[in-house]
Amino acid sequence: MRDGLEVRAGTNGHPTVLKAERVSKAFGPTQALADVSLELKKGSVHALLGGNGSGKSTLIKSIAGVEAADAGALEVRGERHDLRSMTPAQAREAGLHFVHQQRTTFPQLTVTENLAIGRGFDTGAGGRIDWRRARRRAAEVLERFQIDARPDQELGELGPATQTMVAIARALQDQADAADGVLLLDEPTASLPAPEVSLLLSALRRYANAGQAIVYVTHRLEEVFAVADWATLLRDGRVVGSVEPSQLDHDGLVELMMGRTVEQIERLRGRPEGSTVLAAKGVCAGPLSALDLDVREGEIVGIGGLIGSGRSTLLKALFGVMPLEAGEVRIDGEPRHIGSPPDAMAAGLAYVPEDRQADAAFPELTVSENLSLTVVPDYWHRGILNRRRERRDTLGLFDSFLITAESEGAPLRSLSGGNQQKVVLARWLRRRPRILLLDEPTQGVDVGARAEIYELVHSAVADGAAALVASSDFEELARVCDRVIVLRKGALVAELRDGDLSAEVIARHANAEIAA
Amino acid sequence: MTLRRPLRHYLEAYAFLALLIAAAVFFSVWPETSETFTSAANLRTLVSSNSVIAIVALGALVPLVCYEFDLSVGAIAGLSSVFVATALASGTAVPLAIAFGIGLGLFVGCVNALLITRVGVNAVIATLGISIILAGVVNQKTGGIAVTGDIPLGFSEFGSSNWLGVPKIAYVLALVAIAVYYLLDHTPYGRYLYAFGSNREAARLVGIRTKLTLGMTFVISAALCGAAGVLQVARAGSADPKVGETFTLPALAAAFLSAAAIKPGRYNVAGTLVAIFFLAVLNNGLNLAGSPEYVSNYVNGAALIVGVGLAVRLGRRQEV
Repeated sequence: MRDGLEVRAGTNGHPTVLKAERVSKAFGPTQALADVSLELKKGSVHALLGGNGSGKSTLIKSIAGVEAADAGALEVRGERHDLRSMTPAQAREAGLHFVHQQRTTFPQLTVTENLAIGRGFDTGAGGRIDWRRARRRAAEVLERFQIDARPDQELGELGPATQTMVAIARALQDQADAADGVLLLDEPTASLPAPEVSLLLSALRRYANAGQAIVYVTHRLEEVFAVADWATLLRDGRVVGSVEPSQLDHDGLVELMMGRTVEQIERLRGRPEGSTVLAAKGVCAGPLSALDLDVREGEIVGIGGLIGSGRSTLLKALFGVMPLEAGEVRIDGEPRHIGSPPDAMAAGLAYVPEDRQADAAFPELTVSENLSLTVVPDYWHRGILNRRRERRDTLGLFDSFLITAESEGAPLRSLSGGNQQKVVLARWLRRRPRILLLDEPTQGVDVGARAEIYELVHSAVADGAAALVASSDFEELARVCDRVIVLRKGALVAELRDGDLSAEVIARHANAEIAA
Repeated sequence: MTLRRPLRHYLEAYAFLALLIAAAVFFSVWPETSETFTSAANLRTLVSSNSVIAIVALGALVPLVCYEFDLSVGAIAGLSSVFVATALASGTAVPLAIAFGIGLGLFVGCVNALLITRVGVNAVIATLGISIILAGVVNQKTGGIAVTGDIPLGFSEFGSSNWLGVPKIAYVLALVAIAVYYLLDHTPYGRYLYAFGSNREAARLVGIRTKLTLGMTFVISAALCGAAGVLQVARAGSADPKVGETFTLPALAAAFLSAAAIKPGRYNVAGTLVAIFFLAVLNNGLNLAGSPEYVSNYVNGAALIVGVGLAVRLGRRQEV
């Protein structure tokens, strides 16, 4: 990912375009931001780093005027604004452009309409929309940002990655030639697969070199090394470091971010391989055509591939969420028919879906209820649901699964993203599954929680389970998996292990057409 | 924000109950109503007439926990009451008639469940359609005239007599409430319902059989409404073909309001009872004070909006 992105000019001498001073913001008893200052130079990419709940998004929202700060000032090209009374309109007038984390595009409208909503429609006589001009402009923008979409396409038809790129293009569309723009991006790469991440990053680098100033929120460290001139690190609402990334290494950044050293997860290579737990033959489902796969006891097998390659479909089909059109699945040698999640659970499978909010979290239910949903019948004895035992077990699970929560009765939504994900994982691991199916298990999770999640997976696997991990983060796959299979358009195109296993190789196989 | 969590929690949970008590106290001391409101006869009527609606509301509560609306609750109660009254008038034995009423509810509930889970009709539309059809069935059966045949004396006496000074119907309500509470709070099924209401797709992915779970809620709801219809016959000694329709909205309103009481943010049994009796006391008191009928419409509508609006706000504040 670092190749080709290293054209970084020194930016120390450049004039400052944006300066946030001593920004503070509290939500009830929680101090989301405490005296945070930030200086952005012209022509630079400035990464804003931090774990979940560190205040990154709050800072961006305060600058955008979306969330009123309790204190703080903003200086944009010499003009001062009070962040306590900043409005989105003022931010816009000051020349600040934002791409927020939440969806701000309209899936039912066309790409042209989505782009035009950001800048206003071109109108002809009588105030009618000049559609021809709007479409032409949209086509230009799509071309410029190398987005694979037609102006008349409904946005919802596009893949999630392309939709994110349209949102970014919308914020950037007028900036391409204005040399002194300021762009603030809140985790734009969270849902992008690796190749598109690097596409976007190189675009950002290009704009910065042309004179733009870019603030870029992320918790993916690789991206920081790849693209940022400067990094500000937040922890618990405070600035804990403001550094040039080249001065630090990966572990140094992690340490600053987490306030403690995070042990690098080492692959437990060379373990004696156990018996075959999962044997799938000729699996057809969605894009998958006649896929064969064996997974052994004690193995973590990664599934690499782009969006639409079938990596999520494979997990869904194995768990009975999507119909298996053809093929045979054997678990511990036994042929199994898996037509629904209960069938899959009975066969010893567990599934952590990709989209936690949509498919795994019960936000209003308590942490305890969230943890026990997979085992409720175990607490049902002689007509009584044994809540005391349930609560006691929950506290035990907090310990063994490294979950931090105010209490076992707190609603799940009150937990940070990383802790929510650990709850979802613990819900399954407590069943001691034979096979763990994990789809993007660390998406939207900070580095610390990420390491802990893989620690948990490792110990489950060490106890004799097997894990299948689908991810668009190829670095992560290369780091944690014993073996990675790469899917392209529903076919298995490579199987990598040991010396062959690296993010670059996975990426090369995942998009062979682009490389060729 | 300055309140500490436990205190705030109590305020949220019991504010509605406090309002109920405050309303009752108010009408007991307000000169306009102090004599009539506190009379034993008035209180018994208040309790027994609202016990029937409360059972209908507990029925509506079960699918509501899954965020599904059963708009046929009143129509099912009406259907059951008309058919049970006719059966009793033509000499059917009482236990058989009771089973018949509940059985009718079960049957309609199964139709609802199949329409919603197998055919895939939206629950609001399916139950609205069924309720209109049932209104037709009732009208065809009665010609729009109340069924007032020879209801066995023992049966109607049950509906109008007291035990230990409390209407017997209220004991039935207590039993039903305990049963629904047990179902929702102390069985795996109840846990699944709340999970389903929180996130349907996630519920499916943790292995909950969603169609069965959802379908059952409509069957349970309809069975309870069938039972409510039977009780209505016992209470009134006859069956008014129009009475069913009048149950639907107050019952749904109370089920909605339950999220504002006792367990804030969750539809629950105790909250439903508090809501039913809060609205009942308010209406009864205003009625006794001689206020015109439309005032109670204003009060009921406003209470629903304010109560549910408050519940939503409380829920949101907890998020921070």
